[in-house]
Amino acid sequence: MLSARGLTKHFGGVVVADALDIDLMPGEIVALIGPNGAGKTTLFNMLTGFVRPDAGTILFAGERVESLASHQRARLGLARTWQRPRLFESLSLVDNLMIADRDYPGERLLEMVSRPWHVRDSEIKGRERAEQLLARVGLATRADGRSTRLSYGQQKLVGLARALMNDGRCILLDEPMAGVEGRTVETMKEVVRDEAAAGKAVCIVEHNIGFIRDICDRAIFMFNGKIVAEGSVGDLLADKRLTALYFGSHQ
Amino acid sequence: MTEFLLTLAILAGINVLLACGFNLILGYGGLVSVAQPVFYAIGAYSSALISMKLGVPVPLAMILGALIAAIASIGLSLPSLRVSGDYLVIASMGFQLGIVHIINNVEITGAASGLSGIVSAVESPSRSMIYAVILMCICAVTIFAIRWLVTGPYGRAITAMRNDEDVFASLGRDAVRIKVTLFAVGSGLAGLAGGLYAHYFLFLTPDQYGIFSSATLLTMVVVGGAATVRGPVLGAIFLTVLPEAIRFLDLPIAVMAPLQGALFTGLVILFLFVKPEGLFGGKAGGGLDAWQGRDTGGSGRKGVK
Repeated sequence: MLSARGLTKHFGGVVVADALDIDLMPGEIVALIGPNGAGKTTLFNMLTGFVRPDAGTILFAGERVESLASHQRARLGLARTWQRPRLFESLSLVDNLMIADRDYPGERLLEMVSRPWHVRDSEIKGRERAEQLLARVGLATRADGRSTRLSYGQQKLVGLARALMNDGRCILLDEPMAGVEGRTVETMKEVVRDEAAAGKAVCIVEHNIGFIRDICDRAIFMFNGKIVAEGSVGDLLADKRLTALYFGSHQ
Repeated sequence: MTEFLLTLAILAGINVLLACGFNLILGYGGLVSVAQPVFYAIGAYSSALISMKLGVPVPLAMILGALIAAIASIGLSLPSLRVSGDYLVIASMGFQLGIVHIINNVEITGAASGLSGIVSAVESPSRSMIYAVILMCICAVTIFAIRWLVTGPYGRAITAMRNDEDVFASLGRDAVRIKVTLFAVGSGLAGLAGGLYAHYFLFLTPDQYGIFSSATLLTMVVVGGAATVRGPVLGAIFLTVLPEAIRFLDLPIAVMAPLQGALFTGLVILFLFVKPEGLFGGKAGGGLDAWQGRDTGGSGRKGVK
């Protein structure tokens, strides 16, 4: 599904990614763990095209994508979320989702003018799908409201729903549980599990160990821009050496 | 007096088209360009020359002039925006100086002494009246078209792009495409305004399209309210009428000219600090605020979290 080889990135003299290899398979949920500054988000940014790697290749859905722009990768079916919800604050929730439809003819002015019926059709279908997704995260009644009226956890759910609007093959979640509490925790787990069950490759950067234990099939441990261990979640969590790296070696 | 008022109305109409076009670029596209008067010039000279030299009917020549301006704008915006939005400012300055320099030195445009003998769009005793009505209709159509553009599916995309460009890209949306399109439409409108000017006033000189004209347009958009539909319309009317009103004060020309310049630049600075949403902006989410409020900061890939 998604397979990267030798991804390397230097920021000045600092190596933030050192020859990283990563493979994501359909239906599998992979946890990307490690202390802050390990390079997890940078890896996501390289995979999604927001940081250009100095070296390495990325194969996604049978295509080399490392030289494609972010939006082109998204259109191949690579979706992501962000640490903060980053919703479009001037738009309603349903508009936040509709804009994320993988093929959105409304962004092409020529098509707006030359094929108005097609655009109208896709608007109707897009709204339907957006409303369904909002219902899945329990926010159907808020569809026409603004994101600023929601709790932080609810905003994260909308962020997730917006990424799912892409309906692609692979989804990268950057700390989906950070700032999420109460009922939203279960909703988040359920939605992510369902996505994997539907055959999507899922990769999650997360510090919430309970969440990782509950839903992830495999874990990758990063430290100082390197992948230092890879295996089942149980094995990695039991490894004393990794615990020491995670919390600082003096403990 | 009627003739004077009609001419003023025609000028206001032309400025409305220019300001609305510039607003698409600056307000909605978030693109800082000083080259708007150049597309005005390209439209004016193209339309005038096409009708004079090729005998093309004036309305068709005007449309061709607008198209030429729009296409020329892609030549400026596409290469600059591929690199970064910041390059557009510099590239647009070069483009502005370059094109005005060419107009100033080429024989076909009449060079520095100006182009005369342009075909009139309307031949009639009540020419000004007819022209004013035509312009008002064109302005009305333009304003409705812009309203349609910035609401609905395309407007949703513009708003999302202004809120957070990185997230916008991560969802599969092409910001460069939207910016180039807005730049082309805005420049096309300037080109149309140019043609409308040329075939009424029947005389063009290159010094109309200099940096002072850029500043005037910027003032109209900012004072009226960038990224709103009505802001630039009212800003353009207000700032077309205001200098004429000052003229009635009967000040000596030595005071008048600098006063107008100081007034325009002063207004821009005042509004950017005190009322960035413009006189007629008002509603939250509009105006330049939408750009200031996005959370990735001005430029670059830093802070992608």
